Amino acid sequence: MTDTGGTPVLRAPAHQVSPRAVAFWTVSALIGDAVLVLGALLAWLLVPGMPGWVGLLVLLVAALAVAHVVLMPRIRFRVHRWEVSDTAVHTREGWIGRQSRIAPISRVQTVDSRQGALMRLFGLASITVTTASAAGPLTVNCLDADTAREVVARLTAITAATEDDAT
Amino acid sequence: MIPSPGDGWIRLSPRKLLLDPFKAVGQAIVPVVVALIGISRSDMRFWPFIVPIAILGPLVLGAIPWLTTHYRLTDTQIQVRRGLLNKSTSTAPLDRVRSVDLEASLLHRILGLQKVEIGTGVDDDRITLDALAAVDAHALRTTLLRRREVGQVPTPLDPREPVPTPLDHQGSLLAQIDWSWLRFAPFSLARLVLLAGAVGVLSQFGDDLPIWNEETATSLWEWITQFALAAVAVVVAIGALATWVLVSVAGYVVQWWNFRLVREHGSLHLTTGLFTTRSITVEEAKVRGVEMTEPVLMRLVGGAELSTLATGVEDGVTQVLPPCPHDVAISVGAAVLEHTGPLTDPLVAHGPLARRRAWLRQVRASLVLISGVAVAVWWFDEPWWWTAVVALVVLAVSALAGESSYRHLGHALADRHLVAGSGVLARIRTVLETDGIIGWVVTQSWWQRRIGLADLTATTAAGAERVLVRDVRLDVAVALADRATPGLLTDFVEA
Repeated sequence: MTDTGGTPVLRAPAHQVSPRAVAFWTVSALIGDAVLVLGALLAWLLVPGMPGWVGLLVLLVAALAVAHVVLMPRIRFRVHRWEVSDTAVHTREGWIGRQSRIAPISRVQTVDSRQGALMRLFGLASITVTTASAAGPLTVNCLDADTAREVVARLTAITAATEDDAT
Repeated sequence: MIPSPGDGWIRLSPRKLLLDPFKAVGQAIVPVVVALIGISRSDMRFWPFIVPIAILGPLVLGAIPWLTTHYRLTDTQIQVRRGLLNKSTSTAPLDRVRSVDLEASLLHRILGLQKVEIGTGVDDDRITLDALAAVDAHALRTTLLRRREVGQVPTPLDPREPVPTPLDHQGSLLAQIDWSWLRFAPFSLARLVLLAGAVGVLSQFGDDLPIWNEETATSLWEWITQFALAAVAVVVAIGALATWVLVSVAGYVVQWWNFRLVREHGSLHLTTGLFTTRSITVEEAKVRGVEMTEPVLMRLVGGAELSTLATGVEDGVTQVLPPCPHDVAISVGAAVLEHTGPLTDPLVAHGPLARRRAWLRQVRASLVLISGVAVAVWWFDEPWWWTAVVALVVLAVSALAGESSYRHLGHALADRHLVAGSGVLARIRTVLETDGIIGWVVTQSWWQRRIGLADLTATTAAGAERVLVRDVRLDVAVALADRATPGLLTDFVEA
């Protein structure tokens, strides 16, 4: 068996997630990172007898946290994409790495949507599509809440029409 | 006698009344004896009460399950009713019965009983009948499996079409134990883990033994050093080796005594065991692939193991062959898959970049170990060359492991089966029917993106629910996925 001549590439799925996702990811990253940096800072200030280079370490953590808060949401917004065609669901996610997932609609078992408290503030919702494999759930994070409702309704209608046990 | 459809509820075998008290006594013997000793020390007055309770307790407890468990067959279902205070009824539609497994411990076998477990596939809970008379258990198994098969065969509309032939009871024999396979037993290390566990448990008791204290240890050590150290080491090594051979061969015999793998009623049927006999049925329509494993030591002597990957079974991976010759594993695997290619075709290698990653993955792990050793050496102020020696050995081993893991890496697409090679020291070949693939995941870490490699995962409901093709070129991964499941990726692929 040899490689075929052409170099097939997976194209990006058609749709981006909601632009409000950037703000949401920024805020949630900010909360998490602030706790971490404050914890490190307090430990450095309050524990007696810390050498000076520990302060540099805290500074490094703070710099990384800032980079994370500023860069991660923007990169992630560019990477995260999704598409539901007539036959398959295709998602792409990640920010340092990349992960593309494809599942045929005929094998979809459940369609869930999820909305955390913070997500509700931003009018966002995530949907998760599962198949019979534990390795196979597809998640689209931070869709516009209305879009999410439409996608769930459409997928549910299609999967309800499928008779197979989808294994 | 098993009930015919429409008959009323019937009980399990009355011999269960003998089985359960034995089990109850076995479980309760330690606390009861401890309690008896404790009480007998304090006071003799309680004896008249205690003796009847100790004797009658297990008998009553053993009788309750038999009195309260009933089962029956209807035209469409098997129903089991149990419980004294909390009553429960389990039902399974007969056409959903996927597997009927029989198991008998030594005690079961002395009493002529079998435990029956009925699996319905989709959900995890299985219906257990513990225990039926052996004859009834086999009759029930045949009835259930035949019923399922008849249910699946569509009634022939065309009168010229032959009526399904009655099933022969023998089926076709795929494999049975060949005692020359015993030579593989010492090379299968799975049992070594058990042995190590047993030694660990024994050493717990060793602490309490009066002979094993520091003084005896020191004098023993002096005795050893006075004696020729080398001779003692050789004797110990030979002793350990002999023990290992004995234990592994005995374990193999106990586990695989009378092993037979038969194809009947559209199922693979495995029976084995010297003391505890097991009888496992896997429905072939649910088998989506096989996995052939050649552990590192077994490869030296040309041995292999084979498992089936099935959907809707509690644990999707079922070992269907004992450690046996490579050729036997391939021929049985080919019979199950109905194709030879997936197990024998050469795999497409993943190239020099994948080799580099395979090496780095092992070397990285060894660097952690080496730096740990270096810190320890510095801390305890030992000579520096200790670190150098350890580093040399560990790096050599990890280079070997890296190269071997690269050699095992590969993929192929043969006879509508996806084949993935993996394993660091063991060579593992996973074969998955392309019809069983229910999705794809292409993952690239930051490092993989730099060099254009990707991990391709085929998701499935069978076996471990995923088949991983590691470190393959991205375009090769996409092409492989496209060819394996034609049409699925068409919308998303640009040439």
